[in-house]
Formats: sequence, C-alpha cells, structure tokens
Amino acid sequence: MTELLQALILGLLIGGVYALMASGLSLIFGVMNIINVAQGAFLILVAMFTWWLWKSTGVDPILASVVTTPLMFGFGWVLYRTVISRIRGSSTSMSVLLTFGLALTIEGALNVTAGNKFRSATPSYFEESYHLGSISLPKPQVYGFVAAVLVLSALYVVLAHTWAGRAIRASAQNPSGAALVGVGATSTAALAFALGTSTAGVGGSVLSVLYPFFPASHYDWISRLLGIIVLGGMGSLPGALAGALVLGLAETLTATYWSLRWSTLVFYLVILVVLLFRPQGIFGTRLREDVVA
Amino acid sequence: MLRLRRVVAGYGGSAVLQGVDLTCEPGSITCVVGPNGAGKSTVLRVVSGLLRVTEGEVTMGEETISSFPPDEILRRGVTQVPQSHALFPSMTVRENVLMGGFLIRRDKSLLASRMAAVEALVPLVAERSNDRAGNLSGGQRRMVEIARCLMLAPKVMLLDEPSLGLDPRSLAAVAELINRLHDDGVTVLLVEQNVRLGLGLATHGVVMEGGKVRLTGSAREVMDHPEIASLYLGGTRATTAGTTADPAARAHPPA
Ligand SMILES: Nc1ncnc2c1ncn2[C@@H]1O[C@H](COP(=O)(O)OP(=O)(O)O)[C@@H](O)[C@H]1O
Ligand SMILES: [Mg+2]
Repeated sequence: MTELLQALILGLLIGGVYALMASGLSLIFGVMNIINVAQGAFLILVAMFTWWLWKSTGVDPILASVVTTPLMFGFGWVLYRTVISRIRGSSTSMSVLLTFGLALTIEGALNVTAGNKFRSATPSYFEESYHLGSISLPKPQVYGFVAAVLVLSALYVVLAHTWAGRAIRASAQNPSGAALVGVGATSTAALAFALGTSTAGVGGSVLSVLYPFFPASHYDWISRLLGIIVLGGMGSLPGALAGALVLGLAETLTATYWSLRWSTLVFYLVILVVLLFRPQGIFGTRLREDVVA
Repeated sequence: MLRLRRVVAGYGGSAVLQGVDLTCEPGSITCVVGPNGAGKSTVLRVVSGLLRVTEGEVTMGEETISSFPPDEILRRGVTQVPQSHALFPSMTVRENVLMGGFLIRRDKSLLASRMAAVEALVPLVAERSNDRAGNLSGGQRRMVEIARCLMLAPKVMLLDEPSLGLDPRSLAAVAELINRLHDDGVTVLLVEQNVRLGLGLATHGVVMEGGKVRLTGSAREVMDHPEIASLYLGGTRATTAGTTADPAARAHPPA
C-alpha cells in the first residue's frame, strides 16, 4: 500500500514537471499549428546554462528559472520575429523541418562549447527528502513540482484573464474571427511563441537538477513531449496536463512494480492504446472550425 | 459615405471583382443581391480590409481606406459579420462580445458602458453570457456576432447573408435588430440570398453578377425590376402582391 502511494505521489510530482515542459509545445501548436521540435533543445540549452550558472556562482538551479524564464521569453520573441514568422501560412510539416534545423543547430553549438558529456546540477538538497509518515518525497522533485504548478497557474491566469491571453485564444480558435475584431496576427503569434518558449526556461532549469543531460538529450525529451501532447490532444493545454500525468504515473508505476527500463516503453504503449480508441487524444476536440470570412 | 470606385480584387491572381462601383449613403441600408459566386462576399471583404484591392479604391468620407490594414479600418468604425463562423467557439458569449471591444480594451469605463448598451439592445448576450458560443443555435450565434460588432459603436456594418440558415423567428429578430441599427443612423451594407427579405429591409439595392454591378437603385426599384423579379423571385410577383398589397408589383408584371 505504501509502495503504491509512494509511486502515485512520485508519479504526480514527475507528471507536473512533464506538464510544464509540454505546455509550451502545446500552446505553440494550438495557436499557430507549429510543431516546435526544438522545444527539447531549448530545454537542454537552458539546463546547460543553469548548470553553468550553478557551477560558477552557486545560484540554486531551480531558483535560476527566475532568470532563465524571462530570457527564454525574449529569445522566443526574437526567434519568432526573425525566423519562425517566415513560414507563416506554410504547412505544419514545414515548421517541423525548420525547428528541427534549429534543434540541430543548438545541439551542435552545445557540443562545441560545452562538450559531449553528461552533466547534472547537484545542489545541497540533491539527495534529501521530505518524509510524510512512511512516504518519502525527494526534495528536487518537490521543488520542481512547485515551480511547475506556479508557472502553469501563471500561464492559466494570463490566458484566461488578460487581453493578451484572450487574443491568443481567439487566434487559436478562429484566426479570421480574430482579425475581424482587430487582433493582429503577427504580434499575437510572436507573443504565443514567446510564452511557449518561456516555459522551457523553468523547464530547463528544473531539468538540470532532476535529470542528467548532454547535448543530444533533446531527442529523448522531444519524443516524450510529443508523446504527451499527442496523447492529450494536440494543442489542448488541459490535454497536455493529462498526458503528462499519465506519463509520470506510467513511469513510476512501471519502475516500482516492474523495471525502470520498461517505463518509457509502457508510456508509448499507453499512447498506442489510447489513440486506438480516441484518435484525437484524451482532450482532443475540434477547436478550430473551418473558417470562412 | 462609403464608396467603392472601379475596384478590382481577387484571390491569388484571378480577379473576382472586375471594376465594382458602389456607393452607400450615410444611414442607408444597401442590399447587394446576385447569384452565388457573383462576388458579393468579396465586396464586403474588400471594404473591411481582409482582402486587398489590386486596382481602384474604397473611400469613407474624404479618406481612402483600401490601403489600410483591417484593424485601422475597424478603428474608423467599419465592422463586418462574415457569412459564417465568426465566433470563438470555446469562449463564452460574454467573452465573445467582449472581444468585439478589443481595440478599446485600454478604456475600461468605455468598455463597460458599451457592454451594458449591447446587453440592453441584444438581451441574449446577458441571458446566455456564460454559455460557450459553440453551443448556441445558428440564430443565437448571428445575434452574438452582430452584438460583438456593436462594441465598437460602428458607423458602417457589413453583414454577409445574416439570414443564412435561420429559422423564421431568428430571422425576425435579426431583421428587427438591423432596423434598430438603421434607426440609430448606422450605415448598413448587406448581402442577402433571401432577396425578398434583404430588399424588404433595405433602402437601396444593388445587383451583382460575374464580379460586376449590373443594376443599382432604390430597394423598391430593384425589387420591381422585371429581370430581378424573374431571376430571383421566381417570376411570380403576383404571389407577394397579394400579401404586401403592393400596387407597384401589379403595375410591373414579370417580363
Ligand atoms: N478564399 C477564396 N479563395 C479563392 N477563391 C475564392 C475565395 N473566396 C471566394 N472565391 C471565389 O470568388 C468568387 C466570388 O466569391 P464570393 O464573393 O464568395 O461570392 P458570393 O458571396 O457572391 O457568393 C467565386 O468564384 C469564388 O469561388
Ligand atoms: Mg457569399
């Protein structure tokens, strides 16, 4: 029983972090039909930067997200304005090609500057845990989860209660309807892309503590994140949340009752089974109506 | 006054509008009729700036608006209800209407007073305020679409087939709303397949065919034009003559 509870709670904590990482990918797809396969590379880039900051100044890696998040917001905004906006109106597969190129560029740059070896930020609490009765909660996981909840809540507030958020949702649901009320397509897309990219700021900083990484780790991460948003329903934020929790739970339950080595495979099996019955994903509805102005 | 002068426009090279001249007097209701594919919707898209003119110009008063982006045209008080799918289906009715005030979002008190005025004019907005727009019926959606445009207190409203797919009761409600706008001095440019309804509401009529204006005049003149009668009213003006008690209709039997 304790074992099960322990696995469930750990799965929840990990799932929360996955949700954080997948939210940006989902937001960007939902608004622009862009599949940003560079999101994994963004995570590793930030993880590397966070590791370096921690190593050279001793700043807490998870707290470093206070810096990395706005940095990634700015990076995303500039990237959209200078590069991504050029493929506006092209097909989704074009966005995959472009952002894959971006991912390779980042991977290459990291290989050259940081070297091709595993790293992990190990602050003082790295191996400590909180104890709730017989259940132990690893501190890094708890802090990562708290950061994820904070960011996802902030994202929710922005999307639900600000004009910028309304503009983003309007563009996602009905681009020509948004144009009819004066929402600028380019500025809204840039904002959405920047917001989505900024989640890789927190995500990457948290990753640097929770998972060892090296430049090519982004392949592993992007496949997980894509799995999550496909499972949840492409472009649906609640879907990304649900998909992430399923992945977190699948991983810890498999690791607890079977073997760690099988946990990722089990996740992909879950995706396969869910999609057999719900091809549109858990939360996939057709948000985007065919629009004729 | 809204005026199109020798407007040429199209989609990707081919010209759909081939030199359209059209004038809307201030405070008038102008109804454009014509067969499918005549370019009626395209005219409205050109006016609202969603589509660029390749030749000619659209002017409002002294100003040429056809070179402006859509939000600048919107700022000058020209709003459009497209043929279909204008709303944000996952947003509530209230949020949809609020989005109509996107351009005045920084002026909170103006936004609130406009919202109150719109709720007074279109009670549905308050009644269904928390329902998702995607769950409304076609007629209700039309009302919300028009309500959304009213958030900017428009000078000109472009309505593309407002009667499309509506049941008779919704139709009456939409017609009443258009009449209210007319009473308030809003200039309305209307496209209608339902020629009887459209020209019945309108002060002026325009007939389009093949990307050109074929005929203009008062709504009455257009309605009574023999060719229009035979083309769009089934050639049996006598059937309406009985119900509308319209002497002009009897005076001009179909050709
Ligand atoms: N988005 C579009 N892309 C290409 N062609 C279009 C588009 N919209 C309309 N057309 C073409 O332009 C012509 C006029 O269309 P439209 O203005 O919608 O006609 P109407 O509203 O009078 O039925 C038609 O031949 C139609 O096929
Ligand atoms: Mg049309």
